[in-house]
Order: sequence, then C-alpha cells, then structure tokens
Amino acid sequence: DTSLPAPQNISILSTNMKHFLTWSPVIVQGETVRYSVEFQGEYERDYANESWIPICECSLVTATVCNITEDISATVAYNLRVRADVGARRSEWGTLKGFFNRITTSLTPPVMKVIAAGYHLLVELEDMGPAFQFCVLYWKKGQESRMQQKVMKEISSVVHLDTMEAGPDYCVKAQTYVEAINRSSSFSQIQCVRAQGSRSMWLV
Amino acid sequence: SVTEIRSGFAAIRGNIQSRDPIRTLSILSYPHSLHKVKSSDRCCITHHLFNFYVDKVFKHCKTEDSYVNRKISSIANSFLSVKRKLGQCHEQNKCMCGQESAEKFKQVLANYEGLNVTSAAMKSLGELDILLDWMEKSP
Repeated sequence: DTSLPAPQNISILSTNMKHFLTWSPVIVQGETVRYSVEFQGEYERDYANESWIPICECSLVTATVCNITEDISATVAYNLRVRADVGARRSEWGTLKGFFNRITTSLTPPVMKVIAAGYHLLVELEDMGPAFQFCVLYWKKGQESRMQQKVMKEISSVVHLDTMEAGPDYCVKAQTYVEAINRSSSFSQIQCVRAQGSRSMWLV
Repeated sequence: SVTEIRSGFAAIRGNIQSRDPIRTLSILSYPHSLHKVKSSDRCCITHHLFNFYVDKVFKHCKTEDSYVNRKISSIANSFLSVKRKLGQCHEQNKCMCGQESAEKFKQVLANYEGLNVTSAAMKSLGELDILLDWMEKSP
C-alpha cells in the first residue's frame, strides 16, 4: 500500500495568545516525512469560496508543531489542517476537529516581582507582548478594603506604585487583561514587602 | 481589533500601494474626505464601509505573494469581527443612518465601480490607512 496516512491527533496548544498546532508523526520506515499546514478563517469560509491559506514557515517541515500565532490574528473561528509528504507520495489532509478561536487561549497570571527600594514600592512585570495590559492591586496589609489599583496598557520594566510608610507591610497582586478577546487572567500570588531601612523581607 | 488591523496593514501597505498606479484617484476621499462626515453619521458610515470591504474588496485582492495574502486574511478576518460588533450596534438602533451617510456611501460605491474590479479593490485596500485614521480621529 503506497498511500500515506494523514496526520492524526491534530490539536492546538494556546497559552497567553501564543498558538501552536501539533500532531502525531506519520511513521514511514527509513524515510523522512515532511508536513505542510494551512489555515482558513471565517472570512475565507464565508466570503472567499472556503479557500485555504498555506503557512510558508510550516511548509514541507519535519517538525510536528507549527507556530500559527501570526495568522490567528482575529477573534473569529479558524479551521486548520496538515498533511504529510514523503518523496512523491502525499497524504490526505488531516483537519483539526472543530474550530479554533483565540478567545479560548489560556491566560496565566503574570510573572511579577515586588521591590522595596527604600520607601518606594515598585513592581516589575514580565513583558507578554502588545496584546497584554496589566491590572495591579496593592494595599497596606490588614487594610484590604483600601486596595488601590493601577492599570498598565503598555509594559515598562519597573513601575512605581506608591511611597510606603515605615513599619507596615505592603502587598501586591496582578492580573493580565487582553482587550482583543476581552478576558483577564487570574491574579498572581500575593507578594508583600516592607519599606527598607526597617526590617525589609519577603512576607507571603 | 482596530489596532491589529492597523499593524497588519502597516506590514503590507508599501506592497499594496505600489500596485495602484492611479494615485490621483481616491475611492474613499473623492470628492469629499471622510472628515467632512457629521459625527452623527460616523457609526453608519463605518458600518457601511466595513460591509463594503468584507463583501466587495478583500476577495479581489489575492496576490502572488503568500506573505501579503496571509496579512490580507488577517485584516479580512479582523474586519469580520469588527463588522459583527457594528452589526449589533445597528440592530440596537445605536448606529442611525442619515441622508448624508447614504449619499457618502453611494459615492464610494460609484468611485469603486468606476474602475475595473481588481484595480478598485487594490486601491481600496491601499486606502485602509485613510479609513483607520478617520475612525481613530475622535468626533
């Protein structure tokens, strides 16, 4: 039988608006199997004769994963498919079961570091790309009712939150917000610090 | 989102505009710029124009360049997403269409149909920055 099986177990891994298509390898003894990926957005389905668009970075590649982030750039339903090639032999397309919409990406809490620089309460947040905004909440320990909020639309490495009084601990937590899909991550772990010059230490 | 449409368009603007030899003609700005539209008509004109791009323009913009085609797909799918939201506004009567918007949109269609379809589509795509600038200019 010279037919080549289509790739199976096609699935999406999508975290923090980074989207990857993966599939199981097609095994052909002694041969190098290559794969090609195509996508189809809702526009192509409804307005462009159900056309498919190749992703050239994932054309005739040996890897069984393809970064589709650049092409999944609208909050609509996408179809994805992949096929295998060995020499002159070519498989049928294997198609992702169901659509993929980036609205389903999993959002993780931001990596955050709270710094007490003298009496200044600073926070350092990981740069997660242009799609991400950050909401930072901070309060004096024990005064949760007087929590303050700072929203950051663009990330700069370190942000000044407040000037601390000597003595009490100051606590901080943060979450991300992605406007394109109108969703937020859960909050990060709470981190507390105390003004330096008095006993400054991490208190969780 | 509009931000993503703008970054997608920025990536291919030079390529698209270089395919439009007739720079003296405009689809969106002739005879009057979009900036002359009354603010009460903005939503309706925007809704009309998004439908125009989705229904008429993008499908005639296929190129020999796969990177450009992928970016056009991104823009088209983002337009679809925004068009849906505008449609909801329209249904909830928050996007009223006055006489002026009807005439303005009729003019855009006349400009478009005055050229052969591929030239008209490429020119319209090349004028996306005109539309985006106007949309982002507060009324």
